Amino acid sequence: MQQSALSEAGQRDRDIVELLQGGRHEAAFERLAERYERKVYRLCCSIMRDPDQAADAAQESLLRVWKALASYDQRASLSTWIYTITRNRCLTAIDRRRELDSMSDPAVEQAAEAVGAAAGAGAGSPEAARDHLELLRELVEALPEHYRRTLTLFYYEDRSVSEVASMLGQPEGTIKTHLHRARALLLERVRGLGLGDAKLWLEEAT
Amino acid sequence: MNMPHDPKRDEPLERALDAALARALVAPELPAGFRQQLRAAAARSGGADRAQLRAAAEREHAVQLADMRSGFVRLRQRTLGTLVGAAFAAGLLLNFALPWIKTHYGETGVFALPAIGAAVGLALSLRAWWQRSSLVHLLP
Repeated sequence: MQQSALSEAGQRDRDIVELLQGGRHEAAFERLAERYERKVYRLCCSIMRDPDQAADAAQESLLRVWKALASYDQRASLSTWIYTITRNRCLTAIDRRRELDSMSDPAVEQAAEAVGAAAGAGAGSPEAARDHLELLRELVEALPEHYRRTLTLFYYEDRSVSEVASMLGQPEGTIKTHLHRARALLLERVRGLGLGDAKLWLEEAT
Repeated sequence: MNMPHDPKRDEPLERALDAALARALVAPELPAGFRQQLRAAAARSGGADRAQLRAAAEREHAVQLADMRSGFVRLRQRTLGTLVGAAFAAGLLLNFALPWIKTHYGETGVFALPAIGAAVGLALSLRAWWQRSSLVHLLP
């Protein structure tokens, strides 16, 4: 199933490359945007955190792709080439922004306290459910940068390790290690907050 | 995503957390008008036109470079051919000339005429060397 999805994706990339080779750059870019704009935006979201800045970075990345399209030489696959441009664009934007979230984010602590109180009052309420997911997002945000980025993209991409590896330009083994450590850290923090009961995180509860 | 076996593991919690993460980390939707903005920016930039020109220039440069290389090889082949042809022609000429020299100048002529030729050649090369060297400028 995944194999056929991969070959379908490969075929679509080959169609784009054929259009490029035929000098039909505008048609190629139109197809490329259609195929990659969501993925580029998600990659930007996972790196940049802020949706507005991610949208700007995605626009700029795709614009760079457009400008460089005629010189694409197929040394790397189309997806690798696009994701590399996108990551570089995001990292440049982050360097400019010079913002790195601290591990001990006060917002996380506040959210944890709120959820702790809600857990004591009654886990099944809608407020508690929202708080649980909100806390989880806060905890993910507080993870070390490379774990947070990998974990976020993993769930954005329907738990596909190979897709995340391709988007982040890292080996699949590294991605699996990051996911494992990110989850281990999350579990540790969840237990540390006294929220180690599985029932609290089940869909019916949330 | 399986985690290695650990006696302290709490699998129900892991599974519940995984499901909660899938609900919490939902892929964001593209902002409205994203594609339109992109098209407009691409049209403004005219990037592909410049890139097309650049790619065309690069292709032309590559063709010229390939032409130059093949021309150089042809030139070397021609030089080599000329040398080989000249050597065979000289051998052929010598084949006819030697009996004629022997009949007109005797046995000594066979050595004398090439010696005269060698002396003339040496004199010409010495003259050329003398003119090219800076020694000539030292003379009054």
